[in-house]
Amino acid sequence: MNNIKFNNRDPVYVQVVRHFKEQIATGMLEPGKEIPSRRELANKLKINPNTAQRAYKEMEEEGLIYTERNLPSRITKDEQVLGGVREELILQAVDSFVSSIRSINVPVDEVLSLVKEKYAAEDKN
Amino acid sequence: MIEVKDITKKFGRRKVLNGVSFTANKGEITCLIGINGVGKTTILNAIMNLTPINSGHILINGEKIKKESYEKITFIPDAITMLPQMRIAEAMGFMNDFYDCWNQERATELLGFFKLKESERISDLSKGNTAKVNLLLGLAMDVDYILMDEPFSGIDIFSREQIANVFTSHLIEDRGVIITTHEISDIEHLIDKVVLLDNGNVLKEFNAEEVRENENKSVVDVMREVFKA
Repeated sequence: MNNIKFNNRDPVYVQVVRHFKEQIATGMLEPGKEIPSRRELANKLKINPNTAQRAYKEMEEEGLIYTERNLPSRITKDEQVLGGVREELILQAVDSFVSSIRSINVPVDEVLSLVKEKYAAEDKN
Repeated sequence: MIEVKDITKKFGRRKVLNGVSFTANKGEITCLIGINGVGKTTILNAIMNLTPINSGHILINGEKIKKESYEKITFIPDAITMLPQMRIAEAMGFMNDFYDCWNQERATELLGFFKLKESERISDLSKGNTAKVNLLLGLAMDVDYILMDEPFSGIDIFSREQIANVFTSHLIEDRGVIITTHEISDIEHLIDKVVLLDNGNVLKEFNAEEVRENENKSVVDVMREVFKA
């Protein structure tokens, strides 16, 4: 779990959930992996323990984590949920990209070819 | 829960508290914010009955505060009250002799947490370390509520970080904390509830996460709005 750079205006629990989703989507957090306790998470991220609790509750409701009896919680192994996380992050990124590029009136074909060029260049680096 | 209901306080002719009301829950960190001289410390003193109020009520867990209530609350003033020539161990011993609710085990853990040595004399400590000893003496008590007056003021950034770490650790457990401060930016993510004070009045009381969630505003955004108005 890396340190998160929190912004001050979005709810902290939402930012924590997003961070977990990114870690899941990039494979940093593998399916079935044990996650820290609420107190450990609060301590690691320097956030309020109630906020950490809220983030875990949200993740449990979304099916991202599960808890068996009194054992530590783990990342879900549900393929459908995991696929959904990846899709959600991709769509969010595309949405924000589209809304910022739209405001400068670029034809979509030009955008697409630029995106392809950039991707190729990034791969080389 | 600590309930402060419509309390007023005058010093001579000067009204310091003009009907202050707010609540502080167990398991939450409540932050009283206002510039210096708005009555933050007076409120804490009033809860501890160190200064008698002129009107209003203060309830703890629904009951009027009585002598036994003070086994459930501790107050950490903004400066250490132990004699400077005392060693940390002696200050801890003093607390142990004086308070039934002193928890030696937690005190020892806090020493390690703050990287302090028992044998050190209070007069030889840096400002930051003196603040940590002061906090330690209060945090080591087995109480439900801890009141802290300006725990972050006048100390270096690393000591501030170390003190902030206490709030996220098991050392706070599920106790209720009320802190006063005039500098919020480095603890925005640590606190549950904010009470904005000005001139002896509560201007606004809100939950930090709820304001972020419902209004997409930071605590500082709300402060700007409220204090500028």
